[in-house]
Amino acid sequence: MQRRDFLKLLGAGTLAGSGLVGRSAFASAAPHVVIVGGGVGGATAAKYIKLADRNVRVTLIERNPIYIRPYGSSEVLTGHIGMSDLEVSYDALKNRYGIEVIIDTAVGLDPVKQEVATAGGSRIRYDRLIVSPGIQLHYDAIEGYSKEVAETRIPSGWIPGSQTQLLANQLKAMPQGGTFVIVAPGGPYRCPPGPYERAALVTEWMGRHNPTGKVLILDPKDGFVTDQTMILGWNRLYGFNVPAKFREGMPTEGEWPMRDYAEPSRLAWVPASDGGTVRRIDPVRMELEADNGLHRADVINVVPPMTAGKVAYQMGLTDEKGWCPIDRRTHESAIHPNVHVIGDACIADAMPKSGFSANNQGKVVARAVVDLLAGRPTEEPLWKNTCYALAGSEYGLYVADVFKLKDGKIARINGARYLPLDATRAQIRTGAVYQQAWMKTITDDSFA
Amino acid sequence: MKLYASLFAAGLAFATSAVQAEAQRTGEMMANTCAACHGTQGRLEALALMPLAGMEQEEFIRAMTDFRSGARPSTLMGSLATGFSEAEIKAMAEFFAAQPLK
Repeated sequence: MQRRDFLKLLGAGTLAGSGLVGRSAFASAAPHVVIVGGGVGGATAAKYIKLADRNVRVTLIERNPIYIRPYGSSEVLTGHIGMSDLEVSYDALKNRYGIEVIIDTAVGLDPVKQEVATAGGSRIRYDRLIVSPGIQLHYDAIEGYSKEVAETRIPSGWIPGSQTQLLANQLKAMPQGGTFVIVAPGGPYRCPPGPYERAALVTEWMGRHNPTGKVLILDPKDGFVTDQTMILGWNRLYGFNVPAKFREGMPTEGEWPMRDYAEPSRLAWVPASDGGTVRRIDPVRMELEADNGLHRADVINVVPPMTAGKVAYQMGLTDEKGWCPIDRRTHESAIHPNVHVIGDACIADAMPKSGFSANNQGKVVARAVVDLLAGRPTEEPLWKNTCYALAGSEYGLYVADVFKLKDGKIARINGARYLPLDATRAQIRTGAVYQQAWMKTITDDSFA
Repeated sequence: MKLYASLFAAGLAFATSAVQAEAQRTGEMMANTCAACHGTQGRLEALALMPLAGMEQEEFIRAMTDFRSGARPSTLMGSLATGFSEAEIKAMAEFFAAQPLK
């Protein structure tokens, strides 16, 4: 590479970084980008298209007038926040960025005419379509479980809403010494550390409000994202004995060593190899049949299997496993041209299904769509994911990744991705402070 | 300026050896990935996390380099910084330095 070319590449970021005052490639006849789904992915894509080129016309179709954010929603269970704290408005996208927000439900796609059909009877034409469908939960995949059971007796709340509040109420009403069971999911799922953070926060809450109560995680896996660092937190905070498989590298001396306890912790985790896979739920008797036997519970929380959201199916964007194949560079669907898929629903290889991933995919697709509409070559993408997770309200840990394209797939390219096992108390406490700040920073970056 | 030159040289060496075939990314593309914590275009107010808009290039480069080597303690920045070359850090530094504070 010539020195001059290299300098030009270095300088390109600065030239392009003029944001709201950027030059437009579209003086007249502005192209129309339609976005289906106003979660983190769709909202971020809408905003960043406007940051890249204000003249592109952007329409966001979303069925709910208020977004209820899933990230941080476990904090409703412990009363740290209320349901209303999860609510996010679309006003800034409308008023500050000039994005047209249509409250309606997209139900279909005509990829030839390039039109989206809505439940309200509209047909909306696009030059490029971005679909951020999120997930749907397959309650019926577990015998004895159903949507009806989830809404009345055994909530999931993995998509936050009335089930989240129901679960919070059940936890509060649980008898002293009762058992709270979390059924963790197997295959790809939203928020990989989430079930384990939820278990930790409920265990912490019980220490204050139900000290003889128990928390049991039944798991069809033998490990999870953040596992060793989360398990060390459980050991330090709740006297959880670290299983043999996770003991390597644990601190055994110094200011905050791992300890072994004679008494069992009030938190227990049964991985697949110990029989943690749940085969059947009896919602009347409040019993779970797992490979290691029958468990009786007072409160049950299920994270059921999931796939891409319903609209992805209605638009014909899914593969046989229920996720959406894409060209990773531009997020363009491998099935329909001029349609891009982002967020939990898309197949993004090493990227976890998370709000942060959806936010970063929203930015990559925004840049790609603006460049494609202008007839420019698309830029080489880069994505990050960071998930802060709590082992307790003052105990922050994380997973942090950087991703690049490698041989057409999204590959993780950074070094260690978890909190070091020898992290200091100050680092851990700071992680919890940052976790709380992040709830606002990601919401603002995506929606405001 | 000397710092710039040596970083540039390091970046060029990196670009021409280890990752010869690797495509270059704009500073904006990479900097946008920081925004979910550090604010859109690095602008952030009254929160525990650090705003990056308007930061001197040398300060950004020093911070990222020290996070990467472990010289500066962090929560997760040490993990993220290992994902970026000298040239990429420099490109992000230029982007953030050019962003207005408000």
